[in-house]
Amino acid sequence: MRRALFAAVLVFTGGCASIQKEKGHAEVAALVEERIGRKTRWNQGTPEDAEVSRHLDTLLAGELTSDRAVEVALLNNPALQATYEDLGVSQADMVQAGLLSNPTFDGSIGFPLTNDGVSETEFSLVQGFVELFTLPLRKRVAQEQFIADTLRVAHEALATAADARKVFREVQARQQLVELRRMVLEASEAAAELATLQHAAGNITDLDLATEKAAAEEARLELAREELTLVEDRERLNRLLGLWGGRTAWAIAEKLPAPPEEEATLERLESLAIRQRLDIDAARKQTELMWNALELARSTRFFGRVDVGVHTHRDANGPRLLGPTLSLELPIFDQRQALIAKLEAQHRQSERRQTELSVNARSEVRAARARLLTLRGVAERYQCVVLPLREQVVEQSQLQYNAMQIGLYALLDAKQSQVETYRAYIETVRDYWLAHAELEQLVGGRLPGGSHATPASPAPTQPPSGHDHGATP
Amino acid sequence: MSRRSMLATAGASLAGGALLLQGGAAHAQTSAPRASPPPRRDWQSPGMPNRDYRPVIVPNGTKLPWKLVNGVKVFHMVAEEVEHELAPGLKVHCWGYNGQVHGPTIEVVEGDRVRFYVTNRLPAPTTVHWHGLLLPNGMDGVGGLNQKSIAPGETFRYEFTIRQSGTGMYHSHHDEMTQMALGMVGLFIMHPRRPVGPRVDKDFALMLHEWRVDPGTRRPDPNEMTDFNLLTFNAKAFPGTEPLVVRQGERVRIRLGNLSAMDHHPIHLHGYHFRITETDAGRIPESAQWPETTVLVPVGSTRSIEFVADVPGDWAMHCHMTHHLMNQMGHDLPNLIGVNPGGLDAKVRKLLPGYMTMGQTGMGDMVEMGMPVPTNSIPMSGARGKHDVITMGGMFTVLKVRERLTGDADPGWYENPPGTLAMAASPAELSQDGIDVDAPPKAEPASPGGLAHG
Repeated sequence: MRRALFAAVLVFTGGCASIQKEKGHAEVAALVEERIGRKTRWNQGTPEDAEVSRHLDTLLAGELTSDRAVEVALLNNPALQATYEDLGVSQADMVQAGLLSNPTFDGSIGFPLTNDGVSETEFSLVQGFVELFTLPLRKRVAQEQFIADTLRVAHEALATAADARKVFREVQARQQLVELRRMVLEASEAAAELATLQHAAGNITDLDLATEKAAAEEARLELAREELTLVEDRERLNRLLGLWGGRTAWAIAEKLPAPPEEEATLERLESLAIRQRLDIDAARKQTELMWNALELARSTRFFGRVDVGVHTHRDANGPRLLGPTLSLELPIFDQRQALIAKLEAQHRQSERRQTELSVNARSEVRAARARLLTLRGVAERYQCVVLPLREQVVEQSQLQYNAMQIGLYALLDAKQSQVETYRAYIETVRDYWLAHAELEQLVGGRLPGGSHATPASPAPTQPPSGHDHGATP
Repeated sequence: MSRRSMLATAGASLAGGALLLQGGAAHAQTSAPRASPPPRRDWQSPGMPNRDYRPVIVPNGTKLPWKLVNGVKVFHMVAEEVEHELAPGLKVHCWGYNGQVHGPTIEVVEGDRVRFYVTNRLPAPTTVHWHGLLLPNGMDGVGGLNQKSIAPGETFRYEFTIRQSGTGMYHSHHDEMTQMALGMVGLFIMHPRRPVGPRVDKDFALMLHEWRVDPGTRRPDPNEMTDFNLLTFNAKAFPGTEPLVVRQGERVRIRLGNLSAMDHHPIHLHGYHFRITETDAGRIPESAQWPETTVLVPVGSTRSIEFVADVPGDWAMHCHMTHHLMNQMGHDLPNLIGVNPGGLDAKVRKLLPGYMTMGQTGMGDMVEMGMPVPTNSIPMSGARGKHDVITMGGMFTVLKVRERLTGDADPGWYENPPGTLAMAASPAELSQDGIDVDAPPKAEPASPGGLAHG
């Protein structure tokens, strides 16, 4: 009898007791890959990690692209790796939920205080009984909690990917902005040099010379500030990619691409957001979970503790006794009404949260798309109208210069204005891509038809080669 | 056949036709209602070209045709927008008369009765003022003061008798700042009924004017008051000016009228001494004529000079204000004289491909660079002469005096007889005359207390 009972307990508990290390993360990786086409990995100190490390090195050795930056972030972002540990915690909770509470062993020995007695022993083994019936439900609740946690972690991974993409765009744009700022400096330096030559020839005043030199020095300081911003942007990306040491020497050669040909329709984006956003999914799971927890509480409200067990008793000089025990909690005062009310409130709260999330998601998608379209329109206006006009201003200035209508100063002014316009254009295209990444994040995955198109139009006259901005540490 | 002789023939045949018709027309006119009673006949019979006067030559210009009606010279002037070429490669929309800028030269004889019909095809009202002419007040043409301005589409009649001889002018006197800046000016030549002074063989008439036409634009800017960039003889800037062609020994008169907006022009003629023989008000007595080489023609004035062209050659005639010898030039250029650009060009070319520093040795090089310039603009200066580039533009022309001429056309460049042309000195010449080109240049003090140099 005793043996049989132990055996039954062992069989019951056996299936749920083990922790699988990769469990949960595989789901996260699948969700992420399905949405943005990139793999992610949880580094847990296994031999495979070395391979991942080698892969990271190959990713960073070549020219860094937006997709590669995302991949590195998914593999290496320390905050994300810390978040993956949440899966371990959650999984442990789930395993815990599948375990029966341990049987209680009681023993007592009574020693006679007078000489005529003998010692008396009593042993009992008691196991909670109701658990056997509620265990599947509890397991389901825990499993749902685990799935919800998985979704949340995958959502985190996507957020990290979006951040990486945004900061990548900022670095990419900043490199071009620095390059253009350098052109502004070159123009100012040329004007200052002309002033110096004119001054040496006795043709301009000290005042004019000082004015031109001051302008050139200010342009130099502007460049220094812009270069610092580039370093800061690179460091932001380094933090997101979890890089240090030699790995921070990555370079971005690719120019900021022009906005893609087409944008997806609003209806499609809204439905996409509702369908594939993982935080919405997580909220949905949370609501279900609250319902199941509520069901669990309701179905066991009249069950108090039911403990069954065996006990053996040996009386003094009496026979040795063995028999079952039953201990019943009588749900007279506490019928879980408080717990149920709490769970009901939490369930409703969860439903409201889910609604809020969906409404906000749709609204955020609309706002982000409006921003995207506006920035795209501005960028196109720059590219199709304003930049050609600035180009024309420079061309015509050169003709006027040839006709000795204007001097080099006016010509360089025209060039500087063109470069400033180009800078404004680059900033707009950068903001477009930031909005694009934002929208991707808001719909929970890649945008439909968002092919990454040709580079944005070339800089005003080929910038001088030999400036390696990418290698700045 | 020259334009001059052709016009004279046309004028004569018109006059003949009018005379034949005179009988019938006179009858018809007595019965026709007239707005005002016919003025007392105080004029002489019309003066005819080549009989009463030798017509003037207007280089690059035209003349206003006329016909005789009852012994009155009748002209029809049409004020209208005109496309005009100020210099080769520079066409602008101007306002002028009868398709011309400046308006055609009017040529009459002292004592003539003249009647001008002025039709306004401009978008703005206009009038014609007969500058320097003696006439009834109501014919003086100052809009608002002497008459109602001629509205677009209207035709006004001016009629008066020529009571003087000399060089007059005509121009718009309504919104004259705009209308004259756009070209509404012309010459009004009044020949004496009987010859005055020595007979001239060639009588040239030139109108001086100034404009603002920015390179790349197609209309003169009437708002410019100081910084003019095109200076013209008969509305042509050099190298667009026709030369004045003269046979050696001929007596030459050059009439100069100035309706520039703001500038007087000291016109300098090379090779001769001339005398200023006429101003607006008429002939200067011989006793008051000075020998001159430069005549200042003030704004709103005319001057005539005369001389005998006894020395053959290609003689420059130009305004002596050096800026007036430039075409469209910017006046805000940095001064680069004596500047050695060194590495500057290479640096700027990185930003502006094709850039080249210009002006370190002045403007002369500009002429031949051949760099692309804005559309509808001309180089600041220059045209190829016989020996080299002529680094002038604007108010510049050439008096061409030749021993023999086959016609009035440009005879080409003057062939300098041997020994009369400046050229590079040979080492033999230098050594013969004891000139050491490498020695420090010398100068002696010119005042008793002056410091010796060298």
